[in-house]
Amino acid sequence: MFDAREDALAGARQHANWSPYDNNGGTVLAVAGESYVICAGDTRMSSGYNILTRKFEKIDKMSGKTLMASAGFAADAVTLKKTLKARCKQYEFQNKREIGCVAFAQMLSNTLYYRRFFPYYAFNIVAGLDAEGKGAVFTYDAVGSYERTNYSCQGSGQALIMPVLDNQLKTVSPLVLPAASSATPLSEQEAIDLIKDCFATAAERDIYTGDSVELWIMNAEGVRKEEMALRAD
Amino acid sequence: MIPRRTAHERVIGPGVVPHGVDPEHDALYRGRTARGTVTDEVLRGVRGRPFTIDGKAREKAPATRTQTPYVTGTSALGLKYAGGVLLATDTLACYGSTKRYKSVERVKRVNDKCAIAFTGELSDFAYVCDLLEELTTEDFCEDDGTTRDAEEIYQYLTRVMYNRRSKFDPLWNSFVVAGYDAKGEAFCGTVGMIGTHYADDHVAAGFGNHIARPIFREFYKPDLTEEEAVEIMKSALYACVMRDKQMMNKFQIAKVTKEGVSIGEPFAVPTEWGYEKFYNPTKFSPGGW
Amino acid sequence: MSVNLDLSFLHDTERGAASTKYRDEALQGVSNSVHASNFTAPAVEDFDAFQREVINYVKPAHGTTTLGFIFEHGIVIAVDSRASQGPYISSQTVKKVIEINPFLLGTMAGGAADCQFWQRNLGIQCRLHELENGKRITVRAASKLLANTLYSYKGRGLSMGTMIAGWDLNGPGLYYVDSEGTRLKGQRFSVGSGSLFAYGVLDQGYRWDLSVKEACELGRRAIYHATFRDAFSGGTVSVYHVGKNGWTKVTGDDVGELHFHYYPSEKIDEDSLGGLGKKEAEERAAAEATAMET
Repeated sequence: MFDAREDALAGARQHANWSPYDNNGGTVLAVAGESYVICAGDTRMSSGYNILTRKFEKIDKMSGKTLMASAGFAADAVTLKKTLKARCKQYEFQNKREIGCVAFAQMLSNTLYYRRFFPYYAFNIVAGLDAEGKGAVFTYDAVGSYERTNYSCQGSGQALIMPVLDNQLKTVSPLVLPAASSATPLSEQEAIDLIKDCFATAAERDIYTGDSVELWIMNAEGVRKEEMALRAD
Repeated sequence: MIPRRTAHERVIGPGVVPHGVDPEHDALYRGRTARGTVTDEVLRGVRGRPFTIDGKAREKAPATRTQTPYVTGTSALGLKYAGGVLLATDTLACYGSTKRYKSVERVKRVNDKCAIAFTGELSDFAYVCDLLEELTTEDFCEDDGTTRDAEEIYQYLTRVMYNRRSKFDPLWNSFVVAGYDAKGEAFCGTVGMIGTHYADDHVAAGFGNHIARPIFREFYKPDLTEEEAVEIMKSALYACVMRDKQMMNKFQIAKVTKEGVSIGEPFAVPTEWGYEKFYNPTKFSPGGW
Repeated sequence: MSVNLDLSFLHDTERGAASTKYRDEALQGVSNSVHASNFTAPAVEDFDAFQREVINYVKPAHGTTTLGFIFEHGIVIAVDSRASQGPYISSQTVKKVIEINPFLLGTMAGGAADCQFWQRNLGIQCRLHELENGKRITVRAASKLLANTLYSYKGRGLSMGTMIAGWDLNGPGLYYVDSEGTRLKGQRFSVGSGSLFAYGVLDQGYRWDLSVKEACELGRRAIYHATFRDAFSGGTVSVYHVGKNGWTKVTGDDVGELHFHYYPSEKIDEDSLGGLGKKEAEERAAAEATAMET
């Protein structure tokens, strides 16, 4: 089962001053509505106290109804997305239809968990429209535990933005009985404004968030993009 | 059998499996040569199996990895301008802090659309060059009138670097990749030691990230002429050589344009070390001696 | 002896030979097989040290109170819903009861990803058992499947404390299974960082002949009190009942609101207060005010 490890034990030596990980920072966020979903992320990529680039896109379209955003170690995040895109294609060939966002969400969970002992250092959000056309947000930890929610924020600005989202968007927990509707009460435009505010605020206090924020807005008509400049300092 | 040149394989060496690495093979060929039988003594250390790399032998051999870099190059810079992309490095390869090899070309032309520059371990770069040569050979053999463009080379290097880091056996390099992408637009990107990569209007690998990037950020604009870009590059190199102890004042600037890759002759930038403070660093600092 | 012709030099000029020669191992996940052989292990000498280092980066979601007990009318399972990564509350809406099938429940405590993945895996194993044998798996067998799986990963840093509860031909069954390989059959369990608080309430209030309503209330109360004293527990309290027709979710209550249920704020009757009465206090305040003026 662990052949690779046994092989490695035979001759490998770990480097004293070398880590396979780096934190490239960045914040990603998603909000789901009754008939839309918005996925947003800043475009800064940092390493330590250096800003490496100001136009690194953290969001990608994985299938017709699925967006994925990741912060953390950029090389892991990119690799993860490439792997998943290949698996999406495979799913299409085997099932004669595109993968839905709910199925994709679980596929990501499994993919992350298969690296339980050598994790992808990436913090992911999946945003999409489910089979009924309702907005869906799935939020993950680095080793694949996941949950469907209405809004989520991950990455370096998580602790700054999440309380704001809770304040504005929190509804009755889906675990509560009798069940109450827990859809985000905002219209699409209100949600867009809220997200822009969140990023502008996080950029004030988080050194790893800034430069610009891209918003991918998905609804029945398709996907469109908006961009807003943030502090570049 | 036709001898063929193989990729550099550090365990086995170029194209030969030495005696002692693969006991199975040794047993098979024990005492047999083209001329007749020989004893073990003759075999030992002299004979090897020619030509091909043997996967089994590779697995059995002890792993050798870049634990620490030995011969290294420092910063590599890349800058886009209106008519193409510039690459710049010095020509020094250090052995620790010794300025050991002073005329090393740290830029490689990959094909007409792409050139790369590196920082870090010289020997690992040689290995990467071999990999790229294989790609070029493949492009040549296919003979379909296309070659891999700069972005493809960049993505390829990303995978190579990331996969090696995932094996905990990194190639001790960062690269700057310059050239043209599939759409015919100028491309400038960098790939790091653990696979971190990004493309931008200007990039720097190594120490240049601290020193050259601010200069690029200050002066870059999309419609730079070649002369302006070279000037910016020279001032960035100047800043690097003044502050980076691993940099020397002998540089090469390469440019990738629609016409192809040209790697310029080495040159020096004018520097001034005659400041009074340099002669006597403590003269103006109270308490010094 | 057979003649081995070395034709490998031909392969090198094959289309795409060089680019496939160094196979992109990051794409291993693209292969379709789905079991443990898929797990990537880090090529490090000291696996444990690496796991300790990595845990600082990834901070998996942790922290929980869960409980389960058997009584006359079945089983009650009650859980909180908080997940924390260090001091940060990463979720208040975690579903810690995993519905393996209509007759089987699992609870999760410890690493959220570990629990989710392996209980999902247990669900698969149970379904396969059903298909192979034409009847539902027993709780005993299901818990053993999980325990065996976890035991095979012992020492690799998994963190799970789970209860498997269900109803089969032997009646109600409740097992505790953890990532160390422990598997215990029992009548009452509580697992997680808040388990001690829950045990206090649970043991105090437990009787075999509780009614279903009383039992569910006991479970809810025990979890509520655990959320009250354990910082890593909170969110909502979910209570499940398992009877001979399978499980049902009985209640789900926000802890914030439950608080006012268990500690209703009453209007303070000032006259009944010993010591300083309202009138006396006013008099004294007036006296102090005049004293300050002079």
